[in-house]
Amino acid sequence: MTATATPTPALESLVATFAARPGEPAWLADTRRDALGRFESLGLPTARHEDWRFTDLSGLVAQPWVRAGVGGGAWAGAALPEGPRLVFVNGRLRPELGNTAGLPAGTIATSIADALARDPEKIRAHLGRLARSEDHPFVAANTALFEDGAFVWLPPGAGPDLTIALAFLTDPGAAPAAAFPRVLLVAGSGARATVAEVFIGRGGPVYLTGAVTEIVLGEDATVEHVRLQAEALQAYHVGVVCTESAARASLTAHAFTLGGNLSRSELRARLAGEGGSVAANGLYLADGTRRVDNFSWVEHAVPHCTTNETYKGILDGRSRAVFAGRIVVQPGAQKTNAYQMNSNLLLSEDAVVDTKPQLEIFADDVKCGHGGTVGQLDEAALFYLRSRGVREDEARGLLMWAFASEMVGRVGPAPLRARARELVAARLPSGARLVEAMA
Amino acid sequence: MSTGNGKGALLRVEGLRARIGENEILKGVSLSLGPGEVHAIMGPNGSGKSTLAGVLAGRPACEVTAGTVSYAGQDLLALAPDARAAAGVFLGFQYPVEIPGVGNLFFLRTALNAVRRARGEDELDAMDFLALAKEKMKLVDLDPAFGSRSVNEGFSGGEKKRNEVFQMAVLEPRLAILDEIDSGLDIDALRVVARGVNALRREDRSILLVTHYKRLLEYIPPDRVHVMAGGRIVRSGGPELADELERTGYAWVAGENPEVAGGPHRGGATP
Repeated sequence: MTATATPTPALESLVATFAARPGEPAWLADTRRDALGRFESLGLPTARHEDWRFTDLSGLVAQPWVRAGVGGGAWAGAALPEGPRLVFVNGRLRPELGNTAGLPAGTIATSIADALARDPEKIRAHLGRLARSEDHPFVAANTALFEDGAFVWLPPGAGPDLTIALAFLTDPGAAPAAAFPRVLLVAGSGARATVAEVFIGRGGPVYLTGAVTEIVLGEDATVEHVRLQAEALQAYHVGVVCTESAARASLTAHAFTLGGNLSRSELRARLAGEGGSVAANGLYLADGTRRVDNFSWVEHAVPHCTTNETYKGILDGRSRAVFAGRIVVQPGAQKTNAYQMNSNLLLSEDAVVDTKPQLEIFADDVKCGHGGTVGQLDEAALFYLRSRGVREDEARGLLMWAFASEMVGRVGPAPLRARARELVAARLPSGARLVEAMA
Repeated sequence: MSTGNGKGALLRVEGLRARIGENEILKGVSLSLGPGEVHAIMGPNGSGKSTLAGVLAGRPACEVTAGTVSYAGQDLLALAPDARAAAGVFLGFQYPVEIPGVGNLFFLRTALNAVRRARGEDELDAMDFLALAKEKMKLVDLDPAFGSRSVNEGFSGGEKKRNEVFQMAVLEPRLAILDEIDSGLDIDALRVVARGVNALRREDRSILLVTHYKRLLEYIPPDRVHVMAGGRIVRSGGPELADELERTGYAWVAGENPEVAGGPHRGGATP
């Protein structure tokens, strides 16, 4: 394919940040060069691209991006639950902020740059296999440009009470800075663990996080993946999670989209072994002129698998959200059980949601369905609360929390659930008081 | 028409007119309620009883078009619903609202602390509040398990009404307006609710009982009874007025007030 993309300041500036990394294995250098070429030819998505139809990236493509600088320290606001954690600032590991002392023997959680230097073959088998640069410009950009990220290796039978937290913090510099953290999580057969990714940024100049995560689930593995996107409000955030499940593996993926000026959250899940299941949970909150785009694509390649998808959103002001959820049932994937639900609470007449559930079914013995709601805050409930003395903003916050709390409640490990609750409540009217009262 | 003892009244309603949408429901209601008094407002369906209760609590759908309401010397109509609650007004709902996802006790502590803050009092922490809530739940035989359930969600009719009185007990209002607190209750549930309300009667707490049936008044004897019809109070009197209504039904009211529809609705079981 020849290069057809229209050059934009974003495309040209991001391509210009590409640098050869002499220490890396030759196969990775090749992969990166290919990805860069792919990124150049694909260009950044426009509204003509079906999967990006409702999301206008013109603000992002107009920026002359630079590689994110080192960034400062002192990240009190990023408080993570106790336990093993890696902390990245502007896309690079900051070992002094993390702690992996509590990891069980055989389990690896480390900088992916380090892992590539020490044990590249463990990574070679998986990197770029699920997140393919061929048709995804942000995956291509991430593959070409990632400096660091996390490599998590769960040996067979690891867990069950294991939670690993990855924090990606951004301290934006003077120029619009871009970081492309990469995560590879490989769960051996029967391994059970929770991996959380938390994205937090400081206010100030605009910045871009282009994150890609690949999750490989071995047979009977159980992985809970919690994505807490609480970027600063000026941020652009594109996060792509690609997964593949072997037989009887169970994946629960949570996508909390709480911050960012424009945020895209993608889940691309493939059920490749019989008896596998995917539970995809999403919660998105937006106000002002913020944009939230949720894209999910779940492929049932084999029989006897289950998908349960629930996304909920609360939109205020002139915000706009997209839910595009596709479930593809391939020929022969009989006894598939798949359900998709998207519920929205619109707090203003100017907020818009485009909800687009799509079931593509090429098998005849399946149970598939979808549902969705768009509603307003219950005025009767609002008056009931106010008649008891609860101030209007607090009452609204309480009802918004009532709508959102179901999704927070689905997070398994209690400390992580508490962190999710704090981050969600922080985005609600009188949220601080709510959290205090719930404590 | 002025009713009750106007002197030193806690609540004084004068010439109140209100509409819901295009329909004028209250057509000049006047009423006054002294400290510690219990008044009953009776009347047939559609007479405006519940609208009056809603207007006093600040229900947004009820639009006041004329008249004044003075409460403890303030213009009640100028206050937002939450400010009325903070000032000591409580509305017991005829149909308590179910709020899935909001815990009953969590909600009530939020409410109590909002009211306490507005009054310049210290907030109660979780432990102190729990102790208070447990004590008040006993008043209406509410199972402590209801505390952790979502507000009114899946409660039976009787449980909802007991939950209203429980909330009243915690919030300690100066003026409680109980809108058909007896509707949908069987005789045992009515006894429990009435016992709760009676336990909350105090010299500095006034209660306005809105009811369709005299039955409630046998358990909560009022100081005065007002009869509403066609958006006005058409008669006021002592407790004996309720007995008269019991004998005659609301038909005589309709005779004097052609706007009043509906025949007699007699009370249910007489104990």
